[in-house]
Amino acid sequence: MATSGGFWAEAWRRYRRRPLAMAALAFVGLLVLVAALAPAIAGTKPVLCRYKGRLYAPCLGYFNRQWEPAIFTKDRFRGTYPQNLKDKDPESWAIWPLVFQDPFRTVRENEWPGRPENPAKDEGRPSRTNLFGTDQAGVDVFAKMVHGTTVALLVGFVSMGIAGTIGILVGAIGGYFGGWVDTLTSRVTEIVMCIPTLVLILAIIAILEKPTIWHTMAIIGATGWTGIARLTRGEFLRLKNAEFVMAARAAGAGPLRIMLRHILPNALAPILVPITFGIASAILVESSLSFLGFGPPPPSASWGSVLNDARSNLSMWWLVFFPGVAIFLTVLAYNLIGEGLQEATDPRLREARK
Amino acid sequence: MATFLLRRLLLGILTLLVITCFVYGLARAMPGTPLTAQMGEDPSRKLNPEDQERLRRIYGLDKPWYTGYAQWLGNVARGDLGRSITRKQPVTTLIAERIGPTFLISGTALLLIWLMAIPLGLYASARSGTADERATSLLLYVLYSFPTFVAALFLQIVFSVWLRGTPWELPLFGMTDLPPTAPWLARAADVAHHAILPVVCQTYVSLAYDSRFIRANMAEVLRQDYIRTARAKGAGPWRVLFRHAFRNTLIPLATLIGLSLPGLIGGSVIIEQIFTWPGMGRLFFESIRERDYPTIMGLTLMFSVLTLLGQLLADLLYCLVDPRVSVE
Repeated sequence: MATSGGFWAEAWRRYRRRPLAMAALAFVGLLVLVAALAPAIAGTKPVLCRYKGRLYAPCLGYFNRQWEPAIFTKDRFRGTYPQNLKDKDPESWAIWPLVFQDPFRTVRENEWPGRPENPAKDEGRPSRTNLFGTDQAGVDVFAKMVHGTTVALLVGFVSMGIAGTIGILVGAIGGYFGGWVDTLTSRVTEIVMCIPTLVLILAIIAILEKPTIWHTMAIIGATGWTGIARLTRGEFLRLKNAEFVMAARAAGAGPLRIMLRHILPNALAPILVPITFGIASAILVESSLSFLGFGPPPPSASWGSVLNDARSNLSMWWLVFFPGVAIFLTVLAYNLIGEGLQEATDPRLREARK
Repeated sequence: MATFLLRRLLLGILTLLVITCFVYGLARAMPGTPLTAQMGEDPSRKLNPEDQERLRRIYGLDKPWYTGYAQWLGNVARGDLGRSITRKQPVTTLIAERIGPTFLISGTALLLIWLMAIPLGLYASARSGTADERATSLLLYVLYSFPTFVAALFLQIVFSVWLRGTPWELPLFGMTDLPPTAPWLARAADVAHHAILPVVCQTYVSLAYDSRFIRANMAEVLRQDYIRTARAKGAGPWRVLFRHAFRNTLIPLATLIGLSLPGLIGGSVIIEQIFTWPGMGRLFFESIRERDYPTIMGLTLMFSVLTLLGQLLADLLYCLVDPRVSVE
């Protein structure tokens, strides 16, 4: 190799050589884009509109109810914009989302001029107006899935953020200090590993009065750290007697500084790999919980809850196919990223490829 | 060896105490009791307040959770797992009823996995880098990322809905459609027919994972110096693969076998739930929904014991296949 940059620059160079891993990264980027632009892709609220002389962006209401301009509640729009805008202010104009469909309710007849009502029951196979079909209540599946992307992404990042923090902390403390501290942290890790995750999640969700998607994420994070802790502990055990750590100690660095500034950066690459795989499994856990009917309550749209709707009528194949493929591709993408990361950062695998 | 086992036993008991105490507290903290959960489903079974109070006393639900836990613990120490509140049967009977169906699925799946994963893993490392190997590996990777419950729904749609009326139709759910009076051969065939889809679902993910695992370990071993030596002295490619390389991948394999023990008997909640298969996983799910504390606790205890035993088994297998490793 000609010029060798830092460790991460080198890892990125190796990572870029893997087309599948790059495609997976691009896919996750696409998901982020879809999640951020969800109200502009599918919705029944204008992205931007001029009403009674002022500009509004009612589509923000999809992110947070309170962000929907109050004037539309006052003027009794009741969520249906096209007709109301025209009736109440003939001068108004609006930029509409790409697909006029709502993730939470069915679109009624003539709500969009000249369009029939969404088909309900098992009639709603995919069509021009309903790209991915509709569910039993007539709600558009495409809109549901576009808005569910946020949940899928957040679940991965938030829960693994929590799990990563706990895991690294517990593993680092156990590995660095050793002795009885290590015995204690290893025991705790083993106990958490033995508790059936499903009992823990179902019980905590049952205990909470109003479980939200955030609770689910926190619980997945609080149970998913054991593997990370074990790996971190191993890395810290291996590195704590390395020469550079001894040098830091001799220079007078305290344990916290050694752990965070000296050991952790060197242990980070192997720890990042299980975290990436963990994102994939967090998405799996969330969607299977929603699938079993323990997901976030409506109106949070989750891919898994669309699958749950399909269980009552399997002839509606589109309720299985589209969310199923979406979950599969997302899980696959994270697994491919994790694998790419592993190959890019593990020097032993690197030698093997020569 | 004896001190090692004793140490593990004591630590294991301590772990079990913490886990069961924690799960019991959690279970009791869930809103509702077995009595209210039953009434919620069926209004005709609503009890008047005096009867409710009487039942609460009988089942010890009027006492705080730690008293209940101490009682449960005392019974377990005497070998009694208690009686299910909602099903009016001893927990051991319930478990005995469900263990067979679960084992039928997971045992068959495990057998299939090992019968296929080892040849697949060896094949992948023997033909490493060729086009067919890369295609197989990619396919396995894709399968590994395919969520089981999605696969189960896809299979149900294809085999139970689209192929309905053809000889390829497979039953949607349940374990058997025949009455218990039917001849046993017909019943066995019917159960096997019902088991096909659950077994396929439980097999494919682990198959993909395990064969990749074997492949990865083989890749590690094949880089060692003694493999080069074996090749240099003229051993054929298959002989190198089997006699020299594969034997040395048995160590990590032993760990994997040990860790698959809890799943073998614990079953899979999701698969059993989708296919309404009357196994342990489904019992677990139902008992949580019914707030049936004795069953929840009995199953938790069993799963935890199995997990700990699996870890112990993995460690012991480790010593068995690698004489350099000692438990001491």
